[in-house]
Amino acid sequence: MMEQEKSKKIKELVGMANSLKWELGMGMHDSIVSSVYADAAQIARKTVTTEDSKPAFSLDRRIDKVVTSRWLGFPIMFILLAIVFWITIAGANYPSAMLATLLVDTLHPILKGAANSVMPWWLSGVLVDGAYLSMAWVISVMLPPMAIFFPLFTLLEDLGYLPRVAFNMDSLFRKAGAHGKQALTMSMGFGCNAAGVIAARVIDSPRERLIAIITNNFSLCNGRWPTQILIATIFIGAVVPPFWAGLVSTAAVVGIAVLGIVFSLIVSWGLSRSVLKGEASTFSLELPPYRPPRIFQTLYTSLIDRTLFVLWRAVVFAIPAGVVIWLVSNITIGGVSLAEHFINWSDPFAVIFGLNGVILLAYIIAIPANEIVIPTILMLTVLVTGMHEVGAGSGVMFELDSLSGTEGILRAGGWTLLTGVNLMLFSLLHNPCSTTIYTIYKETNSVKWTAISTFLPIVMGFIVCFITAQLWYLFV
Amino acid sequence: MENPLFTLLMGTGIIILLALIFWPGKGLLARRGKVRLSSKRVLLEDTLKYLFDCEYKGISCSLNSAAGNLNISADRMAKLMSQLKEMGLVEFEGSDIRLTDLGNSYALRVIRVHRIWERFLADETGVKQMNWHEEADIQEHQVSPEEADRIAARMGNPAFDPHGDPIPTREGKIPPFSGRPLSSLEEGEVGRIIHIEDEPNYIFEQLSAQGIYPGMQVYLLDKKEGRITFAANGNECVLTPLFASAITVKPLPREEPIQEGYQRLSELAPGETADIVGISSYCMGLQRRRLMDFGIVPGNKITAELQSASGDPVGYRILGTVIAIRKDQASLIFINTENEKLKEYERSA
Amino acid sequence: MSVQPNCESCPVHLKGNLKRLGIDMEKVDYVVALAGNPNTGKSTVFNNLTGLRQHTGNWPGKTVGRAEGVFGYNDERYKVVDLPGTYSLLSTSTDEEVARNFILFGRPDVTVIVADATRLERNLNLVLQILEITDRAILCLNMMDEAKRNHVNIDIRSLSRELGIPVIPTSARRRSGMTELVDMISQVASGKYVCKPHKVRSRSPQIKHAIDNLSKKLMDAFPGLPNADWVALRLLEGDQSIIEAMQNGSLGELVPVENEVQ
Repeated sequence: MMEQEKSKKIKELVGMANSLKWELGMGMHDSIVSSVYADAAQIARKTVTTEDSKPAFSLDRRIDKVVTSRWLGFPIMFILLAIVFWITIAGANYPSAMLATLLVDTLHPILKGAANSVMPWWLSGVLVDGAYLSMAWVISVMLPPMAIFFPLFTLLEDLGYLPRVAFNMDSLFRKAGAHGKQALTMSMGFGCNAAGVIAARVIDSPRERLIAIITNNFSLCNGRWPTQILIATIFIGAVVPPFWAGLVSTAAVVGIAVLGIVFSLIVSWGLSRSVLKGEASTFSLELPPYRPPRIFQTLYTSLIDRTLFVLWRAVVFAIPAGVVIWLVSNITIGGVSLAEHFINWSDPFAVIFGLNGVILLAYIIAIPANEIVIPTILMLTVLVTGMHEVGAGSGVMFELDSLSGTEGILRAGGWTLLTGVNLMLFSLLHNPCSTTIYTIYKETNSVKWTAISTFLPIVMGFIVCFITAQLWYLFV
Repeated sequence: MENPLFTLLMGTGIIILLALIFWPGKGLLARRGKVRLSSKRVLLEDTLKYLFDCEYKGISCSLNSAAGNLNISADRMAKLMSQLKEMGLVEFEGSDIRLTDLGNSYALRVIRVHRIWERFLADETGVKQMNWHEEADIQEHQVSPEEADRIAARMGNPAFDPHGDPIPTREGKIPPFSGRPLSSLEEGEVGRIIHIEDEPNYIFEQLSAQGIYPGMQVYLLDKKEGRITFAANGNECVLTPLFASAITVKPLPREEPIQEGYQRLSELAPGETADIVGISSYCMGLQRRRLMDFGIVPGNKITAELQSASGDPVGYRILGTVIAIRKDQASLIFINTENEKLKEYERSA
Repeated sequence: MSVQPNCESCPVHLKGNLKRLGIDMEKVDYVVALAGNPNTGKSTVFNNLTGLRQHTGNWPGKTVGRAEGVFGYNDERYKVVDLPGTYSLLSTSTDEEVARNFILFGRPDVTVIVADATRLERNLNLVLQILEITDRAILCLNMMDEAKRNHVNIDIRSLSRELGIPVIPTSARRRSGMTELVDMISQVASGKYVCKPHKVRSRSPQIKHAIDNLSKKLMDAFPGLPNADWVALRLLEGDQSIIEAMQNGSLGELVPVENEVQ
C-alpha cells in the first residue's frame, strides 16, 4: 500500500512539473539562468572593487594583440611548431640509438643465450626473438621522441598559447566543417595519434569531436617519421645529385606531412557533409589568461600522463605482434614459411598498387605499432630473398646501421623508386595502429566510428597508391 | 603486366562501383536499409492527427476537409473513416466527425512522438530547420513511444516542440489551446509568438527565412486592409493575411520590455562595449545553453576585444573572461550600445 | 543543524549512495568534494591538499575520469574528490551531470568551491548554484596574488556574509592559504562552523511560485527532504536522474534519519 501511494505521489509530481512547465512557457530555462547571474552581479557589486588606474590583464592583452595579429599570428605559430618538431626529431636521435644499442644489440643476445640454455629453441624464439624484441623496438623508437615532444607541447598548453592557435586556425577548420581545436589534436597527432585522439576531449561538440578523432590518423605520428626519413633518404635523395640529396629528401618528408594535413581537411569536409551531417554542432572556446608554466611539474606530469600511458598501451600491443611475426616466419607448410606463402600469393595484387607482398604482410602483422614496420620489412625481405649473410635468422627483426646496407637489401627485394614513394604514401594513409584503434573505441564507445576511422584511411591509401602506380607505369 | 591504362580504367570503375554501393545515405546499401512504410497505417494516423488538431483548436471538420488536408480523394477518406470507426477510434455525429477517447489517446501518442522528434532534431542534431517537420512526419510512424520517452528523458523532458507547441505527456495530457491569431492583436499591443503553423511547409519556411520564430516578441505597428505590420527583434515585417494567419501569439502585458531596434553582437567593433539584450530564439539546444553558461545573459556587459588572425572568430570579454564566438553565432546575440555610448559621452564631457 | 559528534544522520554515514557513486569509504572520516569553473587552479588546490600530481590541461572537459586523493588533519582522514570543472550546473552535459549528482546524491561533508578571484562575478554563478544544493560549502578564493597584481580588491568578510559560507583567500600556486583552507574544511565537516548559504532571490515571481508549489508537494511525498527547492527546480528542468532517484528511492535516502516519518 505504502509503495503504491508513493508511486502515485511521484506520478503526480512529474505531472505537476509538466503543467507548470507549460504555464511558464519556452523561456523558463533562460529565466532560471538569468536570475542566478543577477544575484551573482549583485553580490559582486557589493564586494569587488577594481582600481581604475590600470586596466586588468594589460600584459595579456598586449601578448594577445601580437599572437593573434593578422601579420604575425600565423608566422609565430609555424615557427613555434617547427621549433618543437625540430627539437623532437633532432633530440630523439641520440637517445634512440642508445636505447637500441642497449636493448637490441646488447641485451637481446644475452637474453637469447640465457633462454636457449633453459628452454627449447622455439620457445626462446617466440619469447625473446618475438615478444621481447618487438617490445624493445617499440620502446627505443617511441620513447625518446615522445618524452621530448609531449613535455614541450604541454608547456605550450600550460602557458595558454594553444587556445590561441585554435582561435587563429578556426576559420580554416570551420570551412572544413570542423572545430578550431582540431588544430591542436592534429598537432598532438604528430606526436602520437592515440594521444591526439584522447586530446579530442577538449572539443565539446559531438560532431566536431568525431571529425577530429577520425581524421587524427592523417597526422604523421612519431612512429612513422623514421620510416619516412629512411625511405626518402634511400630512394628520393638518390635521384638528385648528392649535394641536393639532404634537402630534397627532407622536402619529400615534409611534403608527405603536409599532404596528411590536406587529406585531414578534405576528409573533415567530406565527413561533415555526409555521414556526420546530422550530428549536432556547437562551438565554444575560452581564451584563458596566460600563466607562467611550472616546468618541473609539467615535465613530471606529461611524462606520467601522456608518454608512459601511451607507451604502456603500445608495448601491450607490440608483444603479441612480435609473437605473431616470429611464428609466421617460422611455421612452415611444405618447407615454406607462412610468411612466404602469403608474400608469394599477395605479390601480384600488391604490384597493382606499386607495393609488394612484403610490405603488405609487414603492415598487417605490424598493425600494433608503426615502429616495427621497417625492421619487419627488412627481416621478411631477407627471408624471401634468401640472403642469409645479413640479419639474425627468420623471425628476428633487425635494422642496419648503414644506409647502403639497408638499401642493398631493399634493392635485392626488388624495390624501385616507385616502391619507395608508394611506401611513403601508404605509411601516411593506412589504418591507425592498434593502440590508436583501441583508444578510438574507448573514446567514442562505438564500433561504427571505430570501424570508419580504421577502414577509411586504408581504403584511401590503396586508392592513392593505385593511381600513383598506374600513372607511373603509364608514363615512366 | 597488364596495360596500365586498362588497369587504371578498371580501377576507376571499381572505385565508382564501390562508392555507388557504400556511399552513406545515398548508396545502394543505405537505400536498401530504409524500411518502406506501410502507407495505410500512415494515412490512418495522419487522419487521427488531423481530427485531433481540429478538436484542439475548436474547428469543426468534415470528410472533405480531412481529405483535402491529407491530399487524397474524398472516396478514399470515406473508406479510411469507416475503417477508423470499426477500430473504435472515431464516431460520427451527423456530418461531424469526432475522436473517441481511444482515438484521442492514439492521436496524442503520435503527436507526442512527432513533437519530441522535432525537439530532438532542433536541439541535438544539425538537421536544417526546414527539414524538421518532414523528418518528424516520417519518424512519428516508426519510432515507438518507449524510444521517444527515452529521447525525451535524455533531453530533460521538454514541454514544448521547437515551433512552440506543447508536447503531450506520456499519460496523454496536453494543456488547453491558448493563444490568438496574430491578426487579433491591436495596434500597439505586444505579444509573444507561441506557435507558427508548420503545415503547409512553405509558409513556415518563408517565415523562418524572414527571421520569425516562436518565442519571439512582436509589437504590432499597423493593421491595414488585412496587411499586418509589426516589429520583431528590431526589424519591421509586413505580412499578408495568409502568412499572418499561420502565426499564433499570446498577448503580453505592456510592461515587459519590447525587443526592437537592437544591434547584433557581430556588428560590435573591436574595443567597443555593449549591454547584452538577449539571444535570438533561433539559437536553441546545447548551443544556447553554452552561450548562457559563458555569461551571455541579458544585462551583462560584453566587449569585443580581439580578432583572430583570420578575422573570424572574435574574442569577446564577458565577466572577465575572453570567449571566442564565431560570426554566425554572434549575429544571433542582440546587444544595445546606447548606455555605453552615453557613458562615453559623459566621460568626455 | 545541531552538532552531533557521532550522529547516524551525518552525511558520512550515507555510505550507500557514496558507494554507488564509486567512492571507497574504508578508513575515511569525511568526504570533501572539489568543484569549480575550469581554469581556476582547481587541480593545483587538489594537488596541494592531497600531495598528488594530477595534471589537467587548460581546458574544460579535460578531467573526464574523477580524481580522488586522501589527506589527514587532526587525526582524521579526509577523502577529496575532484569533480569536473564546469561553468554551470544547469545544462545537460555529462560533466555537469557528474558534478551535480555527486553533490546532491553523494552528500559530501564539505564542498570546496574553487573560484578565480580575478573573475569573481563569473565564478559566483556556479557558487550560487552549488549553494542551492548543499549547505556545507567553503569558497576557496584562489589566485589572490593575481588579483592583487591586477588591482582587484575583494572584501572577504562581506563576501562571506553575503554567501553565508566561509571564504578562504588562497594562492594555490604559491601554496599560501592552504593551512587555513584545511582548518576550515575540518570545522565545516565536524559541524563547528554552520553555514547559512545564500539562496537565489532574483527569480521571477512565476518561477518562484512554481518552485514553491512543487517543493510543497515534494515535502509531502518525502518529508524532511533537505533541499526540496533545488529538487523542485530540477524537476522543472525535467532532470531525468531526479525522476529516477524518486522512483528507485535514492532521493528518499537523502532525508536525515531523525526526520524520517514512519
